[in-house]
Amino acid sequence: MSLSASPTPVLATRELVKRFPGVTALGGVSFELLPGEVHALCGENGAGKSTLIKLLSGIHPFGSYEGSLFAAGREVRFSSTRDAEAAGIAVIYQELALVPEMTVAENLCLGHAPLRHGLIDWDRVYADAARVLEMAKIALDPTAEVRKLGVAERQLVEIAKALSKNPKVLILDEPTAALSEDEVRRLLDVVRDLRARGIAAIYISHKFDEVFRIADRITVLRDGKSITTLETKNTTADEVIRHMVGRPITELFPRRASTPGEVLLSVSGLSVSETRAQAPRLREVSFEVRAGEVLGIGGLMGAGRTELLLHLFGAWGWRIAGKVKLAEISLDSPTPHRALAAGLALVSEDRKRYGLFLESAIGFNLSLSSLSRLARRGLLDEDAEVARSRALFDSLRVKAPGLETTVRTLSGGNQQKIVIGKALMTEPKVLLLDEPTRGIDVGAKLEVYELVNRLCSEGKAIVLVSSELPELIGMSDRIVMLSEGKIGGTFSRAEATQERLLSAALGRTGAPQKQAELS
Amino acid sequence: MKTTLKSALRDYSMLLALAAIWAFFGLEHPVFLSSRNLSLLLIELSITASLALGMLLVLLPAQIDLAAGSGVGLAGAVAAVLVFNHGTPALLALLVATAACVVVWASMGALIVGQRIPAFIITLGGLLVFKGVHWLVIKGQTVPVSEGGKNNAYSLLTTYYLPPLAGFALGALVIAGFAFFTLRARARRAAYGFGVPDKERTFMTLFIAGQLIFLLLIVTNQYRGLPLPALILGALALAVYVLTAHTPFGRYLYAIGSNEEAALISGVPIQRTVIVAFALMGAIVALTGFMQTAYAGASTSTVGSLMELDAVAACVIGGTSLRGGRGTVTGVLFGALIMASLLNGMTLMAVSPEIKFIARGVVLALAVWVDVKLNSD
Repeated sequence: MSLSASPTPVLATRELVKRFPGVTALGGVSFELLPGEVHALCGENGAGKSTLIKLLSGIHPFGSYEGSLFAAGREVRFSSTRDAEAAGIAVIYQELALVPEMTVAENLCLGHAPLRHGLIDWDRVYADAARVLEMAKIALDPTAEVRKLGVAERQLVEIAKALSKNPKVLILDEPTAALSEDEVRRLLDVVRDLRARGIAAIYISHKFDEVFRIADRITVLRDGKSITTLETKNTTADEVIRHMVGRPITELFPRRASTPGEVLLSVSGLSVSETRAQAPRLREVSFEVRAGEVLGIGGLMGAGRTELLLHLFGAWGWRIAGKVKLAEISLDSPTPHRALAAGLALVSEDRKRYGLFLESAIGFNLSLSSLSRLARRGLLDEDAEVARSRALFDSLRVKAPGLETTVRTLSGGNQQKIVIGKALMTEPKVLLLDEPTRGIDVGAKLEVYELVNRLCSEGKAIVLVSSELPELIGMSDRIVMLSEGKIGGTFSRAEATQERLLSAALGRTGAPQKQAELS
Repeated sequence: MKTTLKSALRDYSMLLALAAIWAFFGLEHPVFLSSRNLSLLLIELSITASLALGMLLVLLPAQIDLAAGSGVGLAGAVAAVLVFNHGTPALLALLVATAACVVVWASMGALIVGQRIPAFIITLGGLLVFKGVHWLVIKGQTVPVSEGGKNNAYSLLTTYYLPPLAGFALGALVIAGFAFFTLRARARRAAYGFGVPDKERTFMTLFIAGQLIFLLLIVTNQYRGLPLPALILGALALAVYVLTAHTPFGRYLYAIGSNEEAALISGVPIQRTVIVAFALMGAIVALTGFMQTAYAGASTSTVGSLMELDAVAACVIGGTSLRGGRGTVTGVLFGALIMASLLNGMTLMAVSPEIKFIARGVVLALAVWVDVKLNSD
């Protein structure tokens, strides 16, 4: 019963704290990875999983965080990813880092090709590759070109690449996000096989069935803190979800109930693929939004939330089937230009990429979507333009010297107000808000919420996409959860709990409570 | 202190460069500053600057037109052949060639935005195709712009001079108009609560502009009067200025060049805007083609050669970004003046064509390097 009875963890963290300007990404994470175990990390979007991995892999170097990291019982201070690799930590990221034009073998020895008389020793390149693949029991041809491989096979090449460095710890970040069921099985087999050979793994996934199939233990992260570590065989998905959600929703969200009016946006049977002749990314999505109503749309990363909004707005996808009507106008082949003219406006999630002209003045940004209404006989009516921009600038309480201030110099919250202001100047009937409070401080968030209330009371309909469940529940009158492009569930404000929403997002039919009643 | 020096250098770097070029040529070769040469320089400037203003319209939305030079040659050739070989009335010939250019350039624009082929490639193809067609049209001959040395509307483009009195009257009108609009714009900005230059500075600007116009008229009147191309350039510059600074179309050009994805999401009609920009470029290419061919007196196989690069150089020297979203009419006019002065001075000094090419290239690279240096912090 002494402490020495438990084996020394291959990797451990103690009270890790990582702060970014304005945000605390990690607020105390302690967990231990034991030799030869597969340890799953679970948490909502933004719970701190990615930040934790970046600390473990040396991307955020020692000195940029508080707390300690231990490898094989000793404290380690990584100053770069190279140090982490030297300590035996290999990471396989969501975005694959392979060169598609090269063969499997070339990718495996990228950066450290064996040389002979100063030239690449191709015989050894292929022999080494074959040996690594053989060792990992990965059935791949070393001479195959990577671009001809499927996503799962590329994932395996990544694993082989990581293994060629003889790691003690393998970190897999959402490895199955793009894999089919069959491919998932293949990947899990490889991970199991590695575990049998003593390589410990940290496995990050939103998919509970995989987590329960592969993990020995599960650590739950929430709001940047490690909440608990559970033995997989002694727990259930519902318990994990409960820990992931945790807190009760406080009255941070000033949503005022309003009486919905006529239907302003109706979507029926919408199926959309990225381009023609591809598999649909959105499948038979239907919903309605009424005047004075906020419809929340949630879902995990990749569930199709942003794609849905972009498609309604005419900026993404190929419509396979379905009808979209805005008030009485059909939006069959929308472009952003037509959508705006019909009374639909979008505030994009990525404001720097899709929203702002950073080097231009606030006034330029605010009026850009409304110029055709501000022109008289082809010339801009600059008096009217300035008057309208000034009115929005004041009512949104933008903190800046004036309309001529360059947008780049503004804070995130004020930049977001400019993007929203640009949409509002078009006087939309329906406003699509994609993550409108991402990356802005609490005060600015509250202002956005109050603005949503005001717009609703003015009879506009609002579609709010958010990956923060409390925000979704707090600000929406109704909530649609998307799960892999389909509607996983629709909830009224009264029905919505974080557990139910998360279950719907994970594609688990019905709320956990209901299942309990049935069984 | 250092930053003010730097910003002063940035604001006046072009002026300094221009002064240096003029001082050098003026000292080396006093004829450079003669009224005759300055009149000719004004014509050359008008031709270079016109094409550069068109180039500005396509550079702003982050496109480029490498076919402009070949187009200049071709447009001039088509009109010359119509006039000289087919006896078509000159005005009609000019109209036909202009219409053809507008259609061809709009089509290139449509290919660029519709089929997503880079402008660099489409217009590079255009460069070669139009060059070939140009040579086919003139069948390797020299085709004069008018028969037997008589005057027609085509040849008058670069041989007509506004008489002194009319020139002064027009000058007075321009100064009055410029003063009126400057003061009105200032009053409006003040009413909007925007920053305005102080009164003295505004007055100085107006005063200097007035003096320059007056000086220009005196110098040109010492020769034959104000050349017609200068009037054409004036009208064109005014039109492009209004278009870029005071219309939705102009805002769209800047928006597309600054952030195309955001422009799309903001509802900017990207395809239409780029196609219209190319169509306007087509019209300006034709106009430049007529002036350049008329200035040469005849269409030959070399008319227009490499003019697209002079136009791009003028834009870039004038502060236009090749990545789009940045550039002004005044800057382009300055840039064109620098390029035209350089070419004119070197021709005057009988510099060999080899050295001319090298000098143009060095100046362009130098101008961009200085711009990058001064704009970096």
